Amino acid sequence: MLKKIKVKDAVGTRLAHDITEIRPGEFKGAAFRKGHTVCNEDICHLQKLGKNHLYLIDLAEDEIHENQAAAMLAGALAGDGVTWKDNPTEGKISLLADRSGLLTVNAASLAAFNMIDEVMCASLHSHTLVERGQRVAATRAIPLVMKRAPVQRAAAIAAADGGVLAVRGLKKARAGIIVTGSEVYHGIIQDRFAPVLRDKIEDLGSTVAGVCFAPDDTERIRQAIASFMEEGCDLLLLSGGMSVDADDVTRKAIAAAGADEFHYGAAALPGAMFLVAYIGGTPLLGVPACGLHHRITVLDLILPRILTGEHIGKKALALLGHGGLCQDCPTCTYPHCPFGKGL
Amino acid sequence: MESFEALIASSAAAHGHLCPGQVVGVRMAMLGCRLIGLTDPRRHDQIKKLIVFVEMDRCTADAVAHVTGVKLGRRSLKFMDYGIMAATFLNLEDGGAYRVLSTEESRDLADMYAPEVEGKYARQLAAYRRMPDSVLFRVQQVQVSLKDCDLPGPTRYKAVCSRCGQVIRDRREVVRCGQVLCRPCTEGAYFSHAREVTWPDMGLAPEAAEGTAAASPEGTQLNREKRAC
Repeated sequence: MLKKIKVKDAVGTRLAHDITEIRPGEFKGAAFRKGHTVCNEDICHLQKLGKNHLYLIDLAEDEIHENQAAAMLAGALAGDGVTWKDNPTEGKISLLADRSGLLTVNAASLAAFNMIDEVMCASLHSHTLVERGQRVAATRAIPLVMKRAPVQRAAAIAAADGGVLAVRGLKKARAGIIVTGSEVYHGIIQDRFAPVLRDKIEDLGSTVAGVCFAPDDTERIRQAIASFMEEGCDLLLLSGGMSVDADDVTRKAIAAAGADEFHYGAAALPGAMFLVAYIGGTPLLGVPACGLHHRITVLDLILPRILTGEHIGKKALALLGHGGLCQDCPTCTYPHCPFGKGL
Repeated sequence: MESFEALIASSAAAHGHLCPGQVVGVRMAMLGCRLIGLTDPRRHDQIKKLIVFVEMDRCTADAVAHVTGVKLGRRSLKFMDYGIMAATFLNLEDGGAYRVLSTEESRDLADMYAPEVEGKYARQLAAYRRMPDSVLFRVQQVQVSLKDCDLPGPTRYKAVCSRCGQVIRDRREVVRCGQVLCRPCTEGAYFSHAREVTWPDMGLAPEAAEGTAAASPEGTQLNREKRAC
């Protein structure tokens, strides 16, 4: 229960919540923290902040203070790889990455959580690469005092399936790169694909076991795949030959190599002719030619997910569609843009 | 209790079709039984412990009744015509009772839980299977005072309406100015203009009980001939 008192009568009482001060362009934060005992010197400052009245709190048994609620919510939202401190600021608790990796957000659970009145959580997009310590979400109860039941219900929703937010570490894969194309293989043009793929793999903490060049020949490409598999590579990237031209045989070679799962086509541009296949659990990614021309393509959306161990199937490739259209900005700002942020 | 998949299959067969309401009803009943500590409500030793109040006459109600085995005629199923997607599960043994309400937001959230499923109906079906109980339902612990005249078992009380002469069971009579009356005679009824009709008015002959002479093919023929006249 809240009791309203005049600020001039508040000397000696303890503040029920943080009191925020905003000085535009200069400062936004707590001028007074919850629990501060109001003294004579504070009255003028509080009045300058527009506070002519303060609340005194007398919690009923079924009520909960916003700080307690925020802690309960944060604890439920945080899944594997996410941490938080029970030190609410202005009623909010930030959830932080406890490891570097890929943030995953259970968007359905987050939506269900936010459908409960008087609680909120806002997060970064799912599949965002984050550094350890980075803020990935924040939560709070909206009123100063609220009923305990809806907070508990929101917490139950958030905690189902191991929490709404998780940061998965990227495993260190040993990748093989196969650059296909007779024009490259025979030295008619110089390869530029392998360095691009190598950089992307190494930027994510994995290593490149080797680069193999193969002509547009199904058997030769198949042999290259088999060779990397025998060497113990746990990730293969194949460039070229992913289109619909008569000479494009990379897909046939992947099938001939024994792919037990094969998904050709992704709902992203650039990257429509992307391919994901698996041979005995080892992922093979077919990167279309767009990977040469665009700084960011579907590969940048999928590769980190592969490295978390996520099994990418038709559904994952289809759900890229919403937000899967790159705007080809003159200056690319990815990941600070909507590309790949749909679902 | 059987698995969800087994229960939804048998519930849909009993109801006549598989629908989102069936999924909600089966899950509602499974949760309700779990809350009051019944592991297999249709088993002989548990069936007499359970009373279920359903607050809607929709697909969900059939699924709740199917899973729990409660029946109107056994007085273990009570229909409260509230138009609310909810049911209360009462354990007669210890008085524990929980009201399980289907959340309105679960309808809005179907798109989030099954985005890849085409069509509203199919998406709801898939989504309601995937949602955790905490999203699909709200739960209230409640107290239910059940009078002895509402309990299962033989009829304990009978009265006779002083206006129409109808026997009234289980204390459903109304006493007005010292007179015992049935509800239709006092409060009005769902029907009106009631007029007693005779068999000739109906154009029918009464069917005889099985095993009697009148129930023989000859007897039936006789009835038909009489009607033709």
